[in-house]
Amino acid sequence: MSTAHPKAQLLEVSGVSVSFDGFKAINNLSFSIGPAELRAVIGPNGAGKTTFMDIITGKTRPDAGRVIWGPRSQSLLALSEAQIARAGVGRKFQRPTVFEDQSVEDNLMMALKADRRPFRVLFWRPESRDRERIAELAETIGLAGMLGRRAGELSHGQKQWLEIGMLLAQDPQLLLVDEPAAGMTPAEREHTTALLRSLAEQHAIVVVEHDMEFVRRLGCKVTVLHEGAVLAEGSLDHVTRNQEVIDVYLGR
Amino acid sequence: MLRAFVLALALAFALPVAAQAQTPDLGAVLSENAEEIAKPSRRSVGPVIEALVASGAPGVAEFLARWQEREVYQRESDGRFVYIEDGRMVGVADGADLGAAPEDGLDQIRPNGGVRREIAGALVQFQLSAPDPAERRAALDAISSDMARDQIAPLEASIPGEELAALKARKTRLLDMLTARFGSDTEARTAAIARMSSGVSVELRGVLNQILEVEEGRGATLPPDANLARLRVPGSDLGIEAAYAELVKADLAPAPQSAEDLRQALAAHIEGGSVGGLPLARLSDPEARRAAYDALAAEGRVAPFVGPAEMMAAVEAHVFYALYEEPDAAVTTAAAEALAAVETRVALSEAVDISLDALSLASIYFLAAIGLAVTFGVMGVINMAHGEFIMMGAYTGYVVQQVIPDYTVSILVALPLAFAVTFAAGVAMERLVIRWLYHRPLETLLATFGISIALQQLAKNIFGTQARPFTAPDWLAGSMVISDVISISYIRIAIFVLGLLFLGLLLFILNRTRLGLEVRAVTQNPRMAASMGINPGRINMLTFGLGSGIAGIAGVAIGLYAQVTSEMGANYIVQSFMTVVVGGVGNVWGTLAGATLIGFFQKGIEWFNPSNTLAAQTYMILFIILFIQVRPRGIVALKGRAAGQ
Amino acid sequence: MTPSSRPSGLAALIRATPSLPWFLGALTLFTLLVTTLSEALGTGLVSTSFLKVLGMTLCFCLAALAMDLVWGYCGILSLGHMAFFGIGGYAIGMWLMYARTEAIVAESLANQLIPPTEAEIRDAIGAQIFGVVGASELPWIWGLAHALPLQLLMVVLVPGLLALVFGWLAFRSRVTGVYLSILTQAMTLALSLWLFQNDSGLRGNNGLSGLQNIPGFEALPQAQVALFFFWASALALGLGYLLFAWVVAGKMGGVIRAIRDDETRVRFLGYPVEGFKLFVFTLSAVVAGIAGALYYPQAGIINPGEIAPIASIYLAVWVAIGGRGRLYGAVLGAGFVSLVSTWFTGGGAPAIDLGIYRIDWVDWWLVLLGLSFVLVTLFAPKGLGGLVDLWTARQAPERHGSDLGPDEGALREPEAER
Repeated sequence: MSTAHPKAQLLEVSGVSVSFDGFKAINNLSFSIGPAELRAVIGPNGAGKTTFMDIITGKTRPDAGRVIWGPRSQSLLALSEAQIARAGVGRKFQRPTVFEDQSVEDNLMMALKADRRPFRVLFWRPESRDRERIAELAETIGLAGMLGRRAGELSHGQKQWLEIGMLLAQDPQLLLVDEPAAGMTPAEREHTTALLRSLAEQHAIVVVEHDMEFVRRLGCKVTVLHEGAVLAEGSLDHVTRNQEVIDVYLGR
Repeated sequence: MLRAFVLALALAFALPVAAQAQTPDLGAVLSENAEEIAKPSRRSVGPVIEALVASGAPGVAEFLARWQEREVYQRESDGRFVYIEDGRMVGVADGADLGAAPEDGLDQIRPNGGVRREIAGALVQFQLSAPDPAERRAALDAISSDMARDQIAPLEASIPGEELAALKARKTRLLDMLTARFGSDTEARTAAIARMSSGVSVELRGVLNQILEVEEGRGATLPPDANLARLRVPGSDLGIEAAYAELVKADLAPAPQSAEDLRQALAAHIEGGSVGGLPLARLSDPEARRAAYDALAAEGRVAPFVGPAEMMAAVEAHVFYALYEEPDAAVTTAAAEALAAVETRVALSEAVDISLDALSLASIYFLAAIGLAVTFGVMGVINMAHGEFIMMGAYTGYVVQQVIPDYTVSILVALPLAFAVTFAAGVAMERLVIRWLYHRPLETLLATFGISIALQQLAKNIFGTQARPFTAPDWLAGSMVISDVISISYIRIAIFVLGLLFLGLLLFILNRTRLGLEVRAVTQNPRMAASMGINPGRINMLTFGLGSGIAGIAGVAIGLYAQVTSEMGANYIVQSFMTVVVGGVGNVWGTLAGATLIGFFQKGIEWFNPSNTLAAQTYMILFIILFIQVRPRGIVALKGRAAGQ
Repeated sequence: MTPSSRPSGLAALIRATPSLPWFLGALTLFTLLVTTLSEALGTGLVSTSFLKVLGMTLCFCLAALAMDLVWGYCGILSLGHMAFFGIGGYAIGMWLMYARTEAIVAESLANQLIPPTEAEIRDAIGAQIFGVVGASELPWIWGLAHALPLQLLMVVLVPGLLALVFGWLAFRSRVTGVYLSILTQAMTLALSLWLFQNDSGLRGNNGLSGLQNIPGFEALPQAQVALFFFWASALALGLGYLLFAWVVAGKMGGVIRAIRDDETRVRFLGYPVEGFKLFVFTLSAVVAGIAGALYYPQAGIINPGEIAPIASIYLAVWVAIGGRGRLYGAVLGAGFVSLVSTWFTGGGAPAIDLGIYRIDWVDWWLVLLGLSFVLVTLFAPKGLGGLVDLWTARQAPERHGSDLGPDEGALREPEAER
């Protein structure tokens, strides 16, 4: 649906390389995604998927290349992680990282789009529309009855959902989602797929996933990473027919 | 013994002289000056000694030596001077046996300290050619400590006969110094000065500085024909007030009034509640005080006020200068040039000396910190009790020395014993406390701090609060002197060697042994290491023991040159942390680099500001805080995934 | 509970910090009790010297609160907070000493025939204060010492600025965990070494003394002065508790606890983590400075030894023993340990005769403290506050606040993940 989008790209990564002590984790990688597009990134272990996300979110600084963001073509390389997040890039980690010591409500409240500066936060008090938004989000992620619970008491799947909820609360333009379906029941997977597809109508979403079945159900363009570079790009059927991809996945 | 060589020396010196003069007679000179010799006084003995030396008689040297030693007697009956040998009198002049020494009738001649110094001065010229090199060296020392014009000739005369190269060189240098200071013709002096410019010794600099001694003067004009060292310009290299004070001192200007003088002058002229027409109550204002004083001055009751303008005018009307005491401009110019050359060389030598100091400081920091770095790097554990392990090592040394009195043996015993004691303590601590706190580094830090205060107080209770002696053996005492400027104590060399040894040992253990392999595996990925059959608990225990054991050995080394007290560990702990932080974690080379950087930096600051070691430490810590800005992970940093989040 | 039923204002504060009314009530009761037992206004059962000890303990409690905010809530183990406490003490001590010396000098100069000029008064004050270090000039840092309001401003400004600059440098370069602790310790060491110098302008190791004499109140008996300071300390502690309860109750509290638990994650939520840390660090430094400014007039003397790194570590020990991550824990720990410490080191505890050896607590207290601290860390990581949990656990299952005990396997401090 979004492949033929004529509009400028939301994120453009070009010629990015990074190496750790001589090991090239990302090698001259180029990638771009439009403002309302769903994209799956797959690849074997060590292909550089996590590092790729680290570069976009500012956690890792590349040795070479450019990362251009948004309609004003801003370079993300000069920004800190927090600035990138505020610019509209949200990230969900592979391992659910919610603040287990705090309640579900507090977790969502913290993620809610608002002024992030310390003094604004100090004097910030939730208004009724913030509460409504949180109730709405809790409904979406199926945690409506658990707002007062400590996040640490949730099951693994519920933590995944909470993290997705936090991602939504941030209201980002680009969502980087690392293995969203891990630890979920088939019904929850179904729910996740539907959620991601409906979100993709207005947001750019990059999903990193191992589970081919899940990717197939997303029904979107797929980018295959291998040894830090893009090996193939296209529909899932197209890339699974690619001999190189088969070699990489099945081994030589 | 003394007599034997004085005789020999007298002969050696007297022979050439005897060849010129015809049969000089010691007896005649003695009887001529009998009274002065018998009761010498410092003031008048000079000419007598001169006469004795000038006579060139063969027995003069011996006589002077024994005179100085109070071994000369005067027979009351005829005033003859005798020595007493084996209970018999021997004539001074002719060596004639004058019979057994009687109980009475002999006066021992007792020259006082001043006279004996004069005699010693005269003896120097004899000693310069003494057969015993030690004696000649002593004579040279005597000359260099008290240089005088008349030493030039005897020194020069003794040079051709000098057999030892070292002494000959020293004599030549000393002659240059004497010539430079006291020589009679300009050319000889400037030549001597030019030769001197290649040395660095303290005495050489002393001589040059003496030649360049200046006297500060001031006056309406420059004195004519003076050897001007420099002009002192008021306002730039001389403060206006200081310049004016000089004028006042030289009676060239009236004394200025200080605020206190002003107040006293006013107080002395109070009349009915006011001074100079101003009521007392108003005089808390400096302006009013000045006005009152001026009023008094106008009446002529006090001296006119000297203010800044008056001072300035007086100072401008005079010239301030510094004159060389040495009148010969060619000599002072040469000396100034030579001094500049010498100072440059001295500065270079000092830099070398400081570097050696810094190197030894660095090796101390390295020894103190490397154990910490090992535990921190491998286990991510900060051991606040590390300083107390250093202290335990030092106290082990002290206790060993109580049992084994031989210093060398006791150190050889103390080193392994300290390692064993602290290794055991470290293992015990790891098993009992630290292993329960992995993944909670801040709590480990605090728990080990609890152990630290307990151990420190325990040491206080056992050994008391005063410092305990832990003495280095004699062969470690003293310093290796390379030149007057460069020297380093043997103990510091030993610590440096110990540091190198441990660097090598650690590198060997970590890179070449099975233990090292396992340690590195656990450092990089404990879970993976565990699944490969390595027992991380055992590795952690051994690593901690190793780190603590090294701290114990560092304690022995530090105890040797610093005081052994219960607080000594605390003095090193922060520096050790800094070393680890600056160097970078988990790397022996990083610790080495950190220790070197901190050692050199600290010595460098001390060099710029030698009086203030407290400030030096403050600056060092500030430097480290700023350093962290540039390299947050230390000099040798791990990169990439291994560095973690 | 539904989100819309969430209360607001004071009620929200009390809901978020249930200990607040309890604490303020207990503090008020304690203050009233001590007042009725004091020498100045009551039965005299509490001696003036013990009243001072109590007042100083309240100041320690306030400093511990500040420490708890940075460490217990934000995860920054600062080993330098007593430096801020000491700076507050120095700032107020400068005015106390200046004003008192000024009065003495004015008295001695008053009999002179000619009234003194301002410069003369200043010189005399300088000579009086700095005679012990062989100087007579008042250094520039004493430029504001004559004015109480300005010097009171310094009580908050200097610790605040130092914390701001240091924190900016440290947080900016992402120094965390143990590294940061050591860096704060180095800062404290640098400060105390600097103060130890005679030419630091603060009388070197002599420090500032005679601070118990409050200028303008010389006529008042010490019993009353001590009571006033006790009240002031209690008030400051109460206000400090209220302030911190407010700070940690709202979203701010959530963010700083989140920073403690997973700094990186907070960054990806878009929060400028460094700014938050800096805010917390500076705020707590300011509060520590105020605590110091109240403490030292009661102690009477301040010297650089009080700023030595060990003092700050003790502060951390108090908070840990009391139970970090909860405000009343810090107060409990500081009060309990410092009072027990006074009892042991003051010879209050009876010596134990073992026959072969006599355990004199003056000598053995530190050994006991050190070991019990290790035991608390190992076996009771929640500290004294854990006792409160045992009691409240029966009533309300919901807990708000951290407990990073060994049983909480899921919770780890971020640096442990390396």
